[in-house]
Order: sequence, then structure tokens, then C-alpha cells
Amino acid sequence: MITQLPIINLLLFLGMALIIPLFKKRSFSLTTNLGLGVLFLVWISSIVLLYHVITEGAFYYQLGNYDRMLGIELLINTFSVLFSLFIVSLVIIIYIYSTGDATEGVAEKEYGRYYILLFILLFAMLGILYTNDLFNTYVFMEILSITTVSIISIKRKKENYTAAFRYVMLNEVGSLSYLFGVALLYMITGYTNIELVSEGVQSGWSLYPANILTAIGFMVTGIGIKAAIFPFHIWLPDAHSTAPSSSSAILSAVVVKVYILIMIKILFRVFGIDIIQAVHIPTVLLVIASIGMIMGSIFAIAQTDVKRMLGYSSVAQIGYIVMGIGMVSMLGLQAAFFHIFSHGLMKAALFLSVGAVIYHKKIRNVNEFDGIGFQMPVAMFVFSIAALGMIGVPLTTGFISKLNLGLAALDAGQVVLIVVLIVSGFLNALYYLPIMISAFLKDNKDQQRVMRVEKIPKTMLVPLVVLGGLIIAIGLFPGELLSLLEAAALSLT
Amino acid sequence: MNDIIIKSITRLIIPFIQLYGVYIILHGHVSPGGGFAGGAMIGTSLVLYTLVFGIDKSKQKFSHRVSEYAESGGILLYVSLGLIGIVITGSFLTNIEAGFPIGNPGSVLSGGMIPLLMVGIGIKVASTFITLFHTLIEEEVV
Repeated sequence: MITQLPIINLLLFLGMALIIPLFKKRSFSLTTNLGLGVLFLVWISSIVLLYHVITEGAFYYQLGNYDRMLGIELLINTFSVLFSLFIVSLVIIIYIYSTGDATEGVAEKEYGRYYILLFILLFAMLGILYTNDLFNTYVFMEILSITTVSIISIKRKKENYTAAFRYVMLNEVGSLSYLFGVALLYMITGYTNIELVSEGVQSGWSLYPANILTAIGFMVTGIGIKAAIFPFHIWLPDAHSTAPSSSSAILSAVVVKVYILIMIKILFRVFGIDIIQAVHIPTVLLVIASIGMIMGSIFAIAQTDVKRMLGYSSVAQIGYIVMGIGMVSMLGLQAAFFHIFSHGLMKAALFLSVGAVIYHKKIRNVNEFDGIGFQMPVAMFVFSIAALGMIGVPLTTGFISKLNLGLAALDAGQVVLIVVLIVSGFLNALYYLPIMISAFLKDNKDQQRVMRVEKIPKTMLVPLVVLGGLIIAIGLFPGELLSLLEAAALSLT
Repeated sequence: MNDIIIKSITRLIIPFIQLYGVYIILHGHVSPGGGFAGGAMIGTSLVLYTLVFGIDKSKQKFSHRVSEYAESGGILLYVSLGLIGIVITGSFLTNIEAGFPIGNPGSVLSGGMIPLLMVGIGIKVASTFITLFHTLIEEEVV
């Protein structure tokens, strides 16, 4: 029975997306409650699966009982289950927030559509993590980009359409270069199943080095565009800042990470460490990660719109994750995984708290944040926790991930990377600290210094507090998570 | 369009287009075509009706409500056929092993559940076609 849970998870999300339009005439709270129920069911089943995988080991699932050479195969190991649990948990928090705010600037009759898109998005993300097939990954990637572009353009404003159009054009280039890489690999091996392709690539490496080199290049570049790795980041700030706050949180904290996880899967499971080192992928990744970490922060300093600033900050933080991958060591991979978790939590907290400010005060400009800490203490407090995490102050998850990255860099003997880490941390401080200072230390225009909890819906306040608590809790006790992440990194090889 | 020739020809030709669509859907497992191609044909016939007789009349025949039910229903049919496989053999979308009759290969009644899946896809594609077209017509320009 437990082996059926992955497909049931996928079908629950798909089914939920399908029945939302049928409930159009009923009250909207029915839809949101049902959606929350589905999310909790999947959450519980992910926990059961994680326990099962840790105690009994990984297992395969053949759709339609076809042989793996012909059919689609799902591989359920610690990697896929742990990250699907992470995605579902984070989305539950953001989902509860979104039922309060639903979404600034979205027309009332569009709410149903927003949740349909959200559940198809979740379906695609879990599918990408579970599947053990390169072409199947491509299909889910297309579903993911189509739903993402619809979520970005759901506000029906001119700037949303511009951002969505730019997103869809660049991401289509990314998808197609990934598909071209898959086709080249199919030419060599004759399969699309990841394990069979991997065997074929290892034995065919000496015969067809040019084909495999081209395939790596196209696949890594294609996914790099979709994951907004530095030189391909230009779509990200527009797309993430114009979307409604709760979907910015999902896009920035979860969706981008899924593409990075595909990249990890391809580099380590399809090609293997020997081949990627022979074609110098690690060096390329380390260089673009370092440039991205510095440049992303410098771009962020120049922004006045707070959500655009957070978007550029995401570019820098993706650099950290790519740097961990580029070290191609167990420690580096573990640090990258940990930063996926901690950046997910911190960026979700930042976007949601800024979303609460935008909802309550209707301000987006960084210069207007004077004294806002007295009017919205909870939101700004959570914002400060997450911002301190981004800078890498101890007691937060950000510190632990920077520590792990630094240790991995020392282990790899790359002292330059530690300098980059420290400089990037300083640059982060340069654009996060001014907001905190103006929010808590400056006076606002009305000279009010009375602190009271802001009047925003409870469903928005509670997720913010939970996120802030999680950032500190995992920052204080990272041991359990780190050992799980080590198991996930081991399950890749 | 107030042209008697176009209206008469459209009235004549729509049943044949739809019949051909149904034929393509049901023969998806033995000949080229299938759920998507056949569904697109049925959808196109409805688009033709909208073009000739106008959106108001078309909506009386095939309203938004109906197409919403058809869209969700097509996929739900597909998923529920897959669930039969989970119950009987323990694997999603199992075909012959889950007890669907294999029939006489090459004839229309063969291939286990594939014709039924094609019907689901056909319904979904046809209703999506017409919904997309109606949405594009009604979209107000920002």
C-alpha cells in the first residue's frame, strides 16, 4: 500500500485542480478548505514515505506494469521524498497565508483559477522529483512553466504581461535546449530512463565524447535559464516582483529550487562525477556562481522597489546553491541542499512579510518604510529575522548554510570561495540592514511610536510567525536535518 | 455573417465533421489519429459554428458551464480508469493485466482500455478548443 502513495499524491493534486471549477457556484471557503485538506493528506503521506524510505530503502514504481525500457518509472528515494516533503510543507504555510490575502490585485472571480494553477504547479513539481525518466521530466517541466507563466500574468496588468512574456520566451529556449540534450543522449543510448541512460553514457563516453559534451552543455544551459543562474537571470526580478505576494513566495522559494534539483539529478545521476569533471563543469559552475553572488547583490542594492530587490537577492542566493553543487563533493552537495531549505524558508518569510506590508499599507518603495516597524511589528519582526538569516547572522538557518558552504570550500581547498562568501554577506547586509534600520529606528511622518499588533487577518499572521520560528529553530538545531540531507546526497550516487 | 450559402453549408457539413472526429477518436488504437486529433476536429466544428452563427447562439448550444464539466470530466474519466489498475494489479494505468479485454487485434474492439482513454482525451480536447476560442473572443483588451 505504501508503494502506491507517490502516485496517489500526484493524483490528489491533479484531482483537486480538476474539481475546483465544478465548485464555482458554492461558497469559496469550501474550495480553500478542501484544498487545505488535500495538502495535509499529501503532507502526511510524504512523512510516511520518508519514514518508509529511511527504514526500508528506496523503491521503484512502474506505471502500467511496463518494463523500465518501455514505460515510465518513478524512483522514490530519500532525495525525492525529502524535497517533496519540503515543498509540500512550505506550500501549506504559504497556502494558509494566501487564503487571508488571497492575492493582492487579483479579481475576485479569478481566485478559483489561481488555486487551480497552484495545484497543477504542485502536481508538476512532485512529478519532477519522483520521476526517473528524462523525457517525463521534460513533460513536467513544460507543465510547470505554463502554470508559472499563468500565475505571473493572473493580475491582468501591463507589467505582468511584459514579465510573463519575457518569462515564457526565455523559458521556452531553456526547455528546448534541455529537450535537445535529451535527444542527443537518446541518440547514444537509446533510452530515456535515467539509470539506463547513465549506464549507456558511462560506456559510450570514450566513443562519443562530442555528443555527450554537447548534451551536457545544452542541458545545463537550458536548466540554468530556468533556474535563473546568474547570466540568465534577467527574467526573474520582473516575474517575481509583479506576481501576487503569495505566488512570489512560491515561485522564489520553491519553483526555482525544483529546477536546481533537476540540474543536480542530471549532473550526478545521469553523467556522474567523472564525466562532469572531465569536461570542467565544476569550474564553470563555481565561476558563474561567484559572479552571480556578487552581481546579484550589487543589482539588489540599486533597487527601490522592495519586491524587485528581493528578486535580485534570489539571484545571489541561487549562486550560493550552485556554488555548493560546483564543489562536487559530499560536503558541498550537503551545503547546497541545506541552503535550498534555508533559502526557501527565508525567502518565503521575506516575501510574505513584505506582502503583508503591501496589503496593509499599500507601499512598495524601500524609502517609505520609515517607522513601519511600530505599525506592523509582527511582519517587520519576521522580516528582520529572515533578513538577518540572509546576511548570515548566527542563530538563523542562513548562518548554518554559510558555515557549511565555507567548510566545504575549505575541504575543497578553494580559499577564494570563502572570500566571495564573505563579500557577498557584506553586500547582503548593505541592502537588508537599511530597511530594518528605517523600519525600527526612524520616525514615520505621523510621529506615532505606539506599538500594537497590526490589523491583518489571523490567517496571514500565523504563517509569518511559523516561518520566523522555523528559521530560528532550524538555525539552532540543524543536526537532524543535516543527517537527513546527507542521506539524500548519498542516495544520488 | 449573414450569408445564406455559408449558413446552409455549415449546417450541412458540421454533422459530418463531428462524425469523422468520433471515428478518429474511436480508431485511435488501430490507425493514425486518436483522442487529440479527433477532439480537435470536434472542437473545430464548434468553432466553425461560432464563426458563422455568432457567439450568442453558440453559447446556447454549448455553454461555458457545460464545457467546464466536460473538461474536468474528460480527465477524471482518464484518472479513474487508471485507478482501476491500482486496485486490481497495484500499478497505475495497467491495461490488459487489470482485466480489460484484449479483443481481436486490429479491430475496433481491441486494445483494452485505450479506446476508453481516447474518449476521455477527446472530450477534454474538444471542450478546451471551444473554451479557448470563446475566451479569446470575449477577452476585453487591456
